Amino acid sequence: MSLSINNVTKRYRIRARKSVVNALNGITLSVEKGRTLGIVGESGCGKSTLARLIVGLEPPTEGSLLWSGSPLGQGVKNTFRSRHSKTQLVFQDPYSSLNPRQTIGACIAEVLKTHKLRGDAEISARVIELLAVVGIAADMQTRFPHQLSGGQRQRVAIARALAAEPELLVLDEPVSALDVSVRADVMNLLVDLKNKFNLTYIFISHDLSMVRHISDEIAVMYLGRIVEYGTWDEVLNNPKHPYTKALIESIPEHTNVRGIDFENVLEGEVPDPANLPQGCAFHQRCPLAVESCKLKVPELLNATKSHLVACPEVLK
Amino acid sequence: MTNLLEIKNLSVVISEDKRVLVNDVSFEIKPGEAVGVVGESGSGKTLSALSILGLLARGLKIESGEIRFKGADLLKSSAEDLRSIRGKEIAMIYQDPMTALNPVMKIGEQLQEVLDSHQHQITDQKTHILNGLAAVGIADPNRAFDSYPHEFSGGMRQRVMIAMSLLLSPELLIADEPTTALDVTIQRQILALVAKERKRRNMSMLWITHDLGVVANLVDRVIVMYAGRVVETGTVDEIFKAPKHPYTAGLLASLPAAGRDRERLESIPGVPPKPWQVLNTCAFAPRCKEARDICSSHRPELTSNESSSVACFFPLGVKQ
Repeated sequence: MSLSINNVTKRYRIRARKSVVNALNGITLSVEKGRTLGIVGESGCGKSTLARLIVGLEPPTEGSLLWSGSPLGQGVKNTFRSRHSKTQLVFQDPYSSLNPRQTIGACIAEVLKTHKLRGDAEISARVIELLAVVGIAADMQTRFPHQLSGGQRQRVAIARALAAEPELLVLDEPVSALDVSVRADVMNLLVDLKNKFNLTYIFISHDLSMVRHISDEIAVMYLGRIVEYGTWDEVLNNPKHPYTKALIESIPEHTNVRGIDFENVLEGEVPDPANLPQGCAFHQRCPLAVESCKLKVPELLNATKSHLVACPEVLK
Repeated sequence: MTNLLEIKNLSVVISEDKRVLVNDVSFEIKPGEAVGVVGESGSGKTLSALSILGLLARGLKIESGEIRFKGADLLKSSAEDLRSIRGKEIAMIYQDPMTALNPVMKIGEQLQEVLDSHQHQITDQKTHILNGLAAVGIADPNRAFDSYPHEFSGGMRQRVMIAMSLLLSPELLIADEPTTALDVTIQRQILALVAKERKRRNMSMLWITHDLGVVANLVDRVIVMYAGRVVETGTVDEIFKAPKHPYTAGLLASLPAAGRDRERLESIPGVPPKPWQVLNTCAFAPRCKEARDICSSHRPELTSNESSSVACFFPLGVKQ
């Protein structure tokens, strides 16, 4: 079983500006069962759009997404829903992803009813079981989200995702909204759950240190394309693409006091996704750019067997 | 050297029910020094900073304490005196430049307003503003002058905010999480800009953040806050290489970093308490590996030792 994303493109039309945003451009990826793929990139790179496509919240404009061979996000409504339960999404902000007027027990029970996973008699026992799995005591089930801390709320959101008995969990910035001292706890929980239920993870974050911690493979995205892909070690310890390098150099590490280089800073801004430059989208900021970068979008090619880079200059 | 800013025993409460949010906080900033205040949400770091400029929201009150800027107590200053200090001697930049800038006023007018409100003796004001915008890396200052904030990206808006804050060459810049909303490559640009301007102007800085990585790379000295109190202070090397408070040490150990074990993070159990719940004990005791009986019956005072201080009965790396 695996996830395969084949040449997926997603375009959004903006009527007011009479323009088209290419949120995703020809994304091809596969994730083997039981692995964790980390996706990193800055705002507007398309990482959250990809998450929405994988769980079927939106269909792709072109291309296909398959989970163990069957398409995601293209079925008629009923089958669509049952396929859905195999892929679930945990959102960044548990303050807005949980219904404030629903107790956390009811919130999890709703999933069990919608997907008809348990009979009425078994629902309450299953809710307690799911809460226990994420470390929340049974007597908390009558509480409302505002009575919980941020970390507890994110645990509930994870329990709700697990209620559907997914095989693939998409985690979109799952710890970014949490207090620093509770992030480690939630990260450890995610690692435990993955082993316990033999889950496959897509871990999306702008925080490279979290992605480094949890990922087997990493894809780096820039403006709707994958610019580098490989094992976590290849991508983070031997980055090839100039954007990946700049991204890694930009992370202020607390283990490296005064270590960040403020002299050689990557200049410029991420271009507007509705008005992409010709050629490589990174060429205006790139220290290695040559004339040909302005003309042709670079293909993602093998640097080694498992390490792919979309930059002809570093592959020379 | 005399201190530029001295905060002594500052306490901030909710006016209505006197619940304590900032509890007996003291620290100082020397001329030219960059100080980082780190803490989680609710630790009191932002309220301490807002207190300096008299900008606390309605409903909050400074219960006690002194805030001395160049010797004068700002808490006893008249509203008029405070106005003349704000923006001129002490400037502030905020987390979200979109809400800090006026959305219906051109950038140029907003910068002009700073000069006007301080009746500054600058003869060619427009040139001064354009130079200010150019200095923060805005490519076309003339165009920016006539633009509205929404026409800029988040990073560019933050540059405008920085230009505005530096317009009258303040002696102290207070920055409240100014890069948290920005992407990492843009964050690095802004940090580099601030580091450069600080050096050039020999300006003091108070940098408030929850991001330990930013602090480790930007400031000279660090103040760690937890549940409304200062729990540790020290030079950036002391704090990051030999933390004494178990909270500081636990926080540093809980963060993934290059070269660390990828299997398991050292987590801190539990959640931070509310400041008013832990007035007479060590606020960190319920989550602390080192805690003993005294920690949940008495409150450790902040005790200094040369360049550092710590509020803990059993500080790490110190012989008992």
